[in-house]
Amino acid sequence: MEGFREKTCVLSAQDIKRTLYRLAHQILEKTPDTGLLALIGIQTRGVFIAQRLKNIIKEVEGIELPLGILDITLYRDDLTTVGPSPLVKETKINFDINDKVVILIDDVLFTGRTVRAALDEITDFGRPKRVELLVLIDRGHRELPIRADFVGKNIPTAKTELVEVRLNEIDKKEEVVVLTPAS
Amino acid sequence: MKILIKKATVVNPDITFNADILISNSKIVKISQNIRERADKEIDAEGKFVMPGFIDMHTHLRTPGREDEEDLLSGSQAAAKGGFTTICCMSNTSPCIDNEGLARWIIDEAEKIGLVDILPIGAITRDRKGRELTEFGALAKAGCCALSDDGDSIEDSAIFRKALEYAKMFDLLIISHCEDRSLSQEGAMRESFISSKYGIASIADISESLRVYRDIEIARYVDARLHLAHISCAKSIDIIRKARKGFPRLTCETAPHYFLLTVDDIERGGFSGNYRVNPPLGEKKDTLAIKDALKEGTIDCIATDHAPHSFAEKELPFEQAPCGFIGLELAFSLAYTQLVRNNFIDLSNLVRKMSANPARILKLPLKGEIKEGFVADIVVVNLEKEWRVQEDNLFSKSKNTPFLGQIFKGVVEYTIHRGRIVYKNE
Amino acid sequence: MEGWTKKHIIALKDLSRSEIETIFSIAQNFKEISQREVKKTPTLRGKTVINLFFENSTRTRTSFELAAKRLSADVLNFSSSASSLSKGESIIDTIKNLESYHPDILVVRIGLSASLEVLKKHTRASIVNAGDGKNEHPTQALLDMFTVKEAKGTLEDLKVLIVGDILHSRVARSNIFGFQKFSSTVRVCGPQTLIPYEFEKMGVEVFYDLDAAIKDADVIIMLRIQRERQSGMFFPSIREYVEKFSLTPARIKKAKSNCLILHPGPINWDIEISSTLKERLHPLILRQVENGLAIRMAVLYLIGTQKKDNENTN
Repeated sequence: MEGFREKTCVLSAQDIKRTLYRLAHQILEKTPDTGLLALIGIQTRGVFIAQRLKNIIKEVEGIELPLGILDITLYRDDLTTVGPSPLVKETKINFDINDKVVILIDDVLFTGRTVRAALDEITDFGRPKRVELLVLIDRGHRELPIRADFVGKNIPTAKTELVEVRLNEIDKKEEVVVLTPAS
Repeated sequence: MKILIKKATVVNPDITFNADILISNSKIVKISQNIRERADKEIDAEGKFVMPGFIDMHTHLRTPGREDEEDLLSGSQAAAKGGFTTICCMSNTSPCIDNEGLARWIIDEAEKIGLVDILPIGAITRDRKGRELTEFGALAKAGCCALSDDGDSIEDSAIFRKALEYAKMFDLLIISHCEDRSLSQEGAMRESFISSKYGIASIADISESLRVYRDIEIARYVDARLHLAHISCAKSIDIIRKARKGFPRLTCETAPHYFLLTVDDIERGGFSGNYRVNPPLGEKKDTLAIKDALKEGTIDCIATDHAPHSFAEKELPFEQAPCGFIGLELAFSLAYTQLVRNNFIDLSNLVRKMSANPARILKLPLKGEIKEGFVADIVVVNLEKEWRVQEDNLFSKSKNTPFLGQIFKGVVEYTIHRGRIVYKNE
Repeated sequence: MEGWTKKHIIALKDLSRSEIETIFSIAQNFKEISQREVKKTPTLRGKTVINLFFENSTRTRTSFELAAKRLSADVLNFSSSASSLSKGESIIDTIKNLESYHPDILVVRIGLSASLEVLKKHTRASIVNAGDGKNEHPTQALLDMFTVKEAKGTLEDLKVLIVGDILHSRVARSNIFGFQKFSSTVRVCGPQTLIPYEFEKMGVEVFYDLDAAIKDADVIIMLRIQRERQSGMFFPSIREYVEKFSLTPARIKKAKSNCLILHPGPINWDIEISSTLKERLHPLILRQVENGLAIRMAVLYLIGTQKKDNENTN
């Protein structure tokens, strides 16, 4: 990214894999009645993480959890203040979310505004029994009262820094790095 | 009252020379080097150009009826600022100038205002309806310099023929607006690729050229004088050029926008109502043909077709906007910048087009030239100075011109009418 | 795909291929909203959209109205025939009066070609062109192209034919500009009296014979003949028009076998298109309506979420 340089690598490819396995087990442990579970990934990288979790759960328990994709652009609170109108990507929730335990999945939890938008959008699809938030990285600096139920790693950051989750599916790399402004 | 103009470069229709000019009362009394006589007012014209006052054969003063758009005073002021000392106003007012009373009133009011000569052009037919002739004799006696139903063509060929024949008896000039209504209909711009691209109702150029042909043929048949108004396209010029050879009683005029603007400018201007005019702006080939015709003399005059429209009206979308541009204050600068500075014609030719030829065609005695004994209608211009066309520096009540914001060279410093300074550039 | 920065959508001739693709991509995802239980997103909540229709049109107006409502905007419908316009209030006055409602978007349909540049000067709102005279009807062309892209998978290198009253058609003009941005070739066909002057300069092939024009066509757009308009000057009778320019089963055989037939509607059956082709067209007509809604939602979304304080006045 322009104007930034890499500061540290906080998760390697190996770390990511182990963390995802651990998170998958945590989901199953918290909700043993797995028929209630549904995974919804937030565009873009939340979707890939959700897909991987679904695969891991299939691998370790043999069950297929329903997987939904959520694009929250239309529910953002900052549409007229960012630059050009952001592109709206696909939303697809093919199952009934009423009375389900929805695991909402994103790559990085920061201000909490994305999650707020996601919760509003989910409400327009139905009334889940419970929504639990799973994030790969929690970097602090919340601007809304939102907390994650499942966290891959907590990373303290400065507000000016960036956290980039890079996944093979889209970035052709597998790592999580912290970028700092190049002075 | 005596005025002495010193060190002028005098531009006459046939010759340019340096001299001093002495004006006494309303006449030019002496032209020679180093005049030593004392005068009430001296004008230092060193580096400036002095020309016979311009004569506009085609102006709309909107009086009576639309004095909100222009009245005789604002029109006179605009004319004087533009270097015009005689303007001829068209009859399409409300009520129409189709009677001697109104014609005489206009002349009298102009006298009272005392800035420029305003000569009415009476209507050819009653209320310009194209059917019954007006009283040509009475109109001539009242001071009409010509007759025209401008704004419309006389659709009925038989009536047009009779009008030409009848006018001969009074040696009155008929000025014809050439447009075939059945072809032009609701059209708003020239039929061209641009009108097709944007789906705008359009007018083919043959609407004008066909009527030009008809009018010339009829005039030739009855051997009458004929002057064609606002020629705008190459096809018309081809017809006029051929016809003039055997028919010297044929004359014609164009307006500056027809050699400056094209349909492409309408597109560039976002189809603002300020670009709509009738006849409509043509294509590049038409502007070139008009410039050539001005150069070779096929077109005799440059007239303004000054057509004020109130701001509210011109704010309308293109297809709804009324037609026409103001022009009295701009014509000389436009013509000088576009034609003389680009070496199409020289200054003497411009003087012929804007002063000498109109005087000759309208048979105005002692005008159109700077000569001893002639009326002291004179304009002093600074050709190097430039000005930006802006709403707040226009005297006309209306500001509808596509040239708003543009800069042109050639600024009128003084306008002298019958020996009195009626305009001075501050 | 670049980000959207235009304040107005007035003409397809002014949109780049990339901007059109952006609209398609967003429209595609908007189709999904209409299948949800709650067919609404809060995206344009609090925005005021005024449908300013100086010309009647139920279909287009309803489509825009629903599009705005599904994005949670407040909608006002203003149509002129019923109102003070007939009392002499000018179009400009109408717009100036509506400014007191502080509209965010004006969806304008007006009978005057190329008039929106002038109208822009009298309002702070964004303008979406719902048809200006005979000039353009961008959302119609966008939905036509979107429908074709859905069916054919691509907009590249298609042979597109537009048939009918080209002279008076804004749908034709917008579609020509649109398809050409994707390097498709466009042909127009109609009586010579209804083909505009020097129209080849638009980059289209002009035909006066439908049997020749239709050869190998991938897409045919049939335009509506407005019987009220044709006073006998453009063609002498419906019968003669049908003879030469109607889409019949015999003629359609000359086009490609999977040729798409579109019509902006409403269709004059057995004049523009033979009624025996109704079955073939029906699903597409429904698709066009659905796509029209999605396209208009995409357009309103892009225009409605523009930053307020930057003075980009494209």
